[in-house]
Amino acid sequence: MTDQLTVATPGESRAWLRTELRTRKTQAALTLTAGVLAAAASTIPAYALGLLVDRIRAGSDAGAIVPVAVVLVAAAVVGGIATAFGGYLTARLGSQILADLRERTIARALRLPAQVLDRAGRGDLLSRVSADISAIDRAVSEVLPGMISALLLAGISLAAMIGIDWRLGLAGAVAVPLYAIGLRWYLPRAAPSYAAERVAIADRSQVFVESMQGTRTVHAYGLEDRHLGSIEGLSARARDISMNVFALYTRFVWRINRAELTGLASVLVVGFLLVRHGVVSVGAVSAAALLFHRLFNPIALVMVTFDRVQDAGASLARLVGVLDMDVERRDGGTAPAGRELVLQDVSFRYQGGPPVLSEVSLRVAPGEVVALVGSTGAGKTTAASLAAGILRPESGYATVGGVAVTELPADSVAIVSQETHVFTGPLAEDLRLARPGASTGEVSAALDRVGALAWARDLPDGLDTVVGSGGHQLTAAQAQQLALARVVLLDPPVVVLDEATAEAGSAGARDLEQAAAAALRGRTALVVAHRLTQAASADRVIVLDHGRVVESGSHPELIAAGGRYAGFWAAWSATDRR
Amino acid sequence: MSSNAKPGTAILRRAVARNGKRLWLGTVLAGIYQISAALIPVLIGVIIDRAVETGSVTALLTWIAVLVGLFGVLAVSYRFSARNLQRAIAEEGHRLRVEVAAKILHPRLVRTDRPAGDLLTISTTDADYTSYVLDHLPRVISAALAVVVSAVTLLVISAPLGVIVLVATPIMLVTLNLAAPLIANRIRLQQDQAGRTTALATDLVTGLRPLRGIGAQDAAAERYRVVSREALAATLSAARAQNAFQGASTMLSTLLAGGIAIAAGWFALTDRITVGQFIMVIGSAQFLIEPFGTLAIVPRWYAAARASADRVASVLNAGLILPEGTADPATSELRLRGVKHGPLAGLDLHVRPGEFVGVVAYRPAEAEALVRLLTVPDAYEGDLLLGGQRLEEVDRARRLMHVEPHQTDLFTGSLASNVDVHGTGVEFAEVIRAAAADEVGLDTPIAERGSNLSGGQRQRVALARALFARSPLLVLHDPTTAVDAVTEHAIAGGIRGLREGHSTIVITSSPALLAAADRVVVIEDGTVVAEGAHADLSARDDTYRQAILR
Repeated sequence: MTDQLTVATPGESRAWLRTELRTRKTQAALTLTAGVLAAAASTIPAYALGLLVDRIRAGSDAGAIVPVAVVLVAAAVVGGIATAFGGYLTARLGSQILADLRERTIARALRLPAQVLDRAGRGDLLSRVSADISAIDRAVSEVLPGMISALLLAGISLAAMIGIDWRLGLAGAVAVPLYAIGLRWYLPRAAPSYAAERVAIADRSQVFVESMQGTRTVHAYGLEDRHLGSIEGLSARARDISMNVFALYTRFVWRINRAELTGLASVLVVGFLLVRHGVVSVGAVSAAALLFHRLFNPIALVMVTFDRVQDAGASLARLVGVLDMDVERRDGGTAPAGRELVLQDVSFRYQGGPPVLSEVSLRVAPGEVVALVGSTGAGKTTAASLAAGILRPESGYATVGGVAVTELPADSVAIVSQETHVFTGPLAEDLRLARPGASTGEVSAALDRVGALAWARDLPDGLDTVVGSGGHQLTAAQAQQLALARVVLLDPPVVVLDEATAEAGSAGARDLEQAAAAALRGRTALVVAHRLTQAASADRVIVLDHGRVVESGSHPELIAAGGRYAGFWAAWSATDRR
Repeated sequence: MSSNAKPGTAILRRAVARNGKRLWLGTVLAGIYQISAALIPVLIGVIIDRAVETGSVTALLTWIAVLVGLFGVLAVSYRFSARNLQRAIAEEGHRLRVEVAAKILHPRLVRTDRPAGDLLTISTTDADYTSYVLDHLPRVISAALAVVVSAVTLLVISAPLGVIVLVATPIMLVTLNLAAPLIANRIRLQQDQAGRTTALATDLVTGLRPLRGIGAQDAAAERYRVVSREALAATLSAARAQNAFQGASTMLSTLLAGGIAIAAGWFALTDRITVGQFIMVIGSAQFLIEPFGTLAIVPRWYAAARASADRVASVLNAGLILPEGTADPATSELRLRGVKHGPLAGLDLHVRPGEFVGVVAYRPAEAEALVRLLTVPDAYEGDLLLGGQRLEEVDRARRLMHVEPHQTDLFTGSLASNVDVHGTGVEFAEVIRAAAADEVGLDTPIAERGSNLSGGQRQRVALARALFARSPLLVLHDPTTAVDAVTEHAIAGGIRGLREGHSTIVITSSPALLAAADRVVVIEDGTVVAEGAHADLSARDDTYRQAILR
């Protein structure tokens, strides 16, 4: 199994691009037309000037300049307008495709299975949605219009040279294989270098993200130098790899120059011979030489941007790669026939690890609250994740109302874990993630139900206060209350709480327990409890040990039975020293 | 405008100054390259004039040999120029990145409200864009050189033609530059919007677990879509301005070159210059379009580089929260007198060396305020003293006090690299036992942010790490919230045993930990309301009992 997210093959990327262009046929055709017009307008002057050369040699009078002047001015005006439209249309086509791509990538990324993302690391995904998207963005707005217009110009100029005299066209075409040889020398060498460069940049990004998100710990331990050292090391590595790629590139430019020299000399020598044999005029040779020289920069641009396009192609492959990854899908889903949560003979192990759960069966009746208790490593969190459909069982099944939890509509089962996140933006918008379009009244009611409305109203801008990264900082307990309020707003029939009250510390935990109880009212609930008060107030308690159910019953029953749960409770109460 | 423009400009200036050697060598070579390129159309004219026109084989061979030589100079100057400049650009981008990182990780804590995604963009895209100024400068200079060489060629052939070029070029550039502020504005908007999409993507990916928990991925994707469409609109608005500019620039420079050609054609038709000279003029005028275009585009490039440099500067110039620590206290005695900070309203707390003190705050916000203050002693009133010195003035390198953040951050590596963070090589099995983290094997690899461990395991590894630091004063904040009761009991004993002889403050409401403390201090409404042994407090104080005993 790979530790990185998927990268698309060149074929997959091309197929994706073809599909995108096909869905925008008219727009693509319009873009091409404007581009051709711009290219044609810019070859006309050289052609007209060639004619002028012959007029000069023929000793025409000064009036011969007039038609040439008219053509030149017209070509400049048409060329300018066509350039503007061509450039804009190309940028528009490209950025619309890019916008679709990044939106689909994010939608996909958010659906990646939990295990895949944990293995691959968030840095890789973050670098894809930031650095890669901006690399393509730059290619689309800076490179692509120039490259397309250059290619059109090259094609039309060569056609014009052949139009003057096919032998002159052929002489110029001598450069084509040399350009091709240059590319064939360069591209296979550049591709692996670019890949290495990308990986180095992803590594750099990952260590950067980790350091920034862990600044508290970095400061607490005085690890600033150490982390800065690894950022510097990885950044330097990325820089050195980039330099090697560039050294290769300059050798490539030498090959481009060789092609230019050969083509130009060949046009001049052939022109010399043709003029000597009286086949073509000096003006025709001049026009051909000028047309050919006019191509130096645009063709060099194509050759040079080939690597930037390749660069963007590498980024594209990483985005299209995400699009092609398997995701958890809950398209509509099948509505459950009831509200009963069942785990039947469920077994699970993490990749290559020992079994975490072995044939666990449990049943939570509609509206019942069942607490899951056990010592550390008993498999409580795994059982909760399976019940919520975040993990898929290796064998056995998890259902709600007879429907597999992974097939349910999104608003059927909610899980709140101890990992909280406050989403950047107004507080009310954070809640609306659970139900887009919820009214202010509904948002307030949800906050009120979990006892958060009072403090939320006291924030600087009330419910419109910007919270999260860079905004107003909420406490861990407040963040967890928000998580519960989201559940209330979502209003799912089944809820799984995985130590959702743990993060706040015991004093805050009591408030949170009340908030959780309020959020669970009327729902089928599976609650992973470290705090046994939660277990004591649940309808039923299930004790897990080493991945197996060892006890099940109400709190008083289990206490009376004097088993493992009774032991937990004794340890718990002992700390009271009442 | 001019006042907030300065920081970015200073960053760009510094980039130029500190890459001086490579930059100027690269620029001189780029100039030679550009002159060689400008001479090519001249040579084409000469070859047509001296060889094609006359039919002389000797002349043809001679001038083709000159052409080959010229290409040699061109290729060599390009290669060494480009390598020097690229090295400077890569080096500058790297240095900016490291500087941004150093600022964000500064031990005295940077004052910034930028989200993490934004900082990532600044360290990558903006650092790169800023360094591109080292590419822009040589291009501008060599383009200007090319214009000069072409102008001289034209002046030699015909003074009036040369004058037309020298007068018309600046007029055209000034005209085009009128559009620069509009374009710069739109580009800034575009970049801001791009930054927003990146920040949102980062935020959503970071909060993926909670999102998944409530099945809100579609809502989140929709939210991203809205921002992405706004970014697209900004991109298109910038593209409209840029391409209108590009079109106008193409039109004007083609008209200028065309004008020169028409004038030269008229001169040739009236026999004032030869056919070869006419071709040289046309070739030069045609060649001039490129450097003219470069010069016209410069404001746009510069605007992009400056916008990025402004953002880099906003991080590099951000203030630091803590003053320079110079005090060097002898003991780890901690004393708070009348401290006001957020919800803390005149807090008194005294922890003597060697004491194990439990602190209970009835409201979590007060506990968090206390921890925040001990971590970042800023914006408070009253006395906050470590060993008799003001805490913010204590030299951090002394590390008399270690405050372990409640939110655990583990880093990619091994268990060893996460516990023995400074790589001392000291045996750490003891602290792993004390933190009851035995089940995490000693050679377990740790994935990014500890994502391969459970919440409870992460918490215990972080506790082991805090204990391993063996700081004279250790402050823990709710270290066992994700741990079951039995284990918590064991951990309380483990901490007590390992901290014998050192001071320890545990801010918690866990009875197991409080029972292990020498004394417990109770905070309510921002002040200390009770103090005593856990057993006594639980026996006589009803409020305490209700808050603590579950």
